[in-house]
Amino acid sequence: MRKPGFLLMYILLLTAQILLGVYCNFTSLFTLTLLPVMVLCIPIKRSTIFCMVAAFITGFLADFMQDGMLGISILALVPIGLMRKGIIQLVFGSEVFSRGEDISFRRQGIGKMALAIAMVTGIYLAIYIFVDCAGTMPRSFCFMRWIISLAGDTILGLFAADLLTKDELGRWR
Amino acid sequence: MPRNSKAFLPLITAAIFIAMEIAAVAMLKSSSTLQDVWLNRASHRIMGRLWSGGETVRNHFSLSKQNDALTEENFALRERLREYELAQEAAAEAGESAFMTGRRFTYIPATVVKMSRNSMHNYIILNKGSEDGVTTHSGIITNKGVVGIISAVDKHYSYGLTLMNTNVSVSSRVGRSGMVSPLIWDGKNSNRGVLKDIPLHYSIEPGDTVVTSGFSNIFPADIPVGITGETEIVYGSTSQTEVILFQEFGALRYVTIVKNPERDEISALEKREEER
Repeated sequence: MRKPGFLLMYILLLTAQILLGVYCNFTSLFTLTLLPVMVLCIPIKRSTIFCMVAAFITGFLADFMQDGMLGISILALVPIGLMRKGIIQLVFGSEVFSRGEDISFRRQGIGKMALAIAMVTGIYLAIYIFVDCAGTMPRSFCFMRWIISLAGDTILGLFAADLLTKDELGRWR
Repeated sequence: MPRNSKAFLPLITAAIFIAMEIAAVAMLKSSSTLQDVWLNRASHRIMGRLWSGGETVRNHFSLSKQNDALTEENFALRERLREYELAQEAAAEAGESAFMTGRRFTYIPATVVKMSRNSMHNYIILNKGSEDGVTTHSGIITNKGVVGIISAVDKHYSYGLTLMNTNVSVSSRVGRSGMVSPLIWDGKNSNRGVLKDIPLHYSIEPGDTVVTSGFSNIFPADIPVGITGETEIVYGSTSQTEVILFQEFGALRYVTIVKNPERDEISALEKREEER
């Protein structure tokens, strides 16, 4: 079955993120986010500047619609747009860029995908939690929140990444 | 042209990234009071550290000036102390009609321009000369002890022989009321001298303080020089005592020139008496 287009899936996931952010605030120890995975899965051919602009708009929309602190998601997400290429090169190797192929579970494997998702989510959460706590919470609490959120968001991110990445296996047969 | 634009791409990317982050921070500041206060506090802390760091660097580079100022202050204080000592001596003289030992010395601060340490006849050049009131046969001291004697004076500089010169001899006393004997350099170590020509019946214990005797018209009395070490008999007639000098010649930068304005008068009197 052919998956829907990237842009449509991106908008759907953003909507899901907004809804989850508004209605699924169970505990202050868990920050639910799909945004870093969405930025990671932007097609390879897109430039870093494009990714940063996409991250800025995505973060702005998420903050604006969730009625939270405007700017916090942008602050944490724009660095992911900047570092995305470096992380992809580090985890998947530079062949991805030379071939011009987008990342996918089938081609790169679940291990590497999980690692890349954990890296972007970890960076995003580190900035987000640091700014969100604003020195009012003990460091142990912030660290615990980061660990729990990273574990949960990485698992959720695997599903989100599966929805966003194209299955191009047939092209290479 | 495309090559140029490729070279500028990282700069443009960095500029866009910074602009977006600044925009995010601005939005955050306006939307949340807690984050606004926290960011303000963080920015004040960073600015405070930057300013204090800059101040530390500035202070480091002005250390030389501060040293000079402290040295000047030190000299002024030493001059005042000497005045008090003289006043005390005058009072003692008036009370006990003791013989005159206090002479009015003047102190001139100076910086070492050049100094040799690796020959038997070491010398020192100071940045004060005849225009500053320096005369030959003035003493050179520091707060750690005797350094040497001025032997030649130019307009702006003076040349002295240090204690690390085998031609220099300083009249010294062991303790405040002990035996007086000439102190010379041992010629081997930069921090060792020898008290010569000590009569055998004097016994000097190791650890006694050696000070200037004040008999030479060059140095005031009681300037610390060093502490005594081992004593040995020379040719069975006299003994000599090793002196560990307080002054470290390797770390010498600032000195004080001690001038005795009455020296010429005393020398003339001595000469007249010798001619008679």
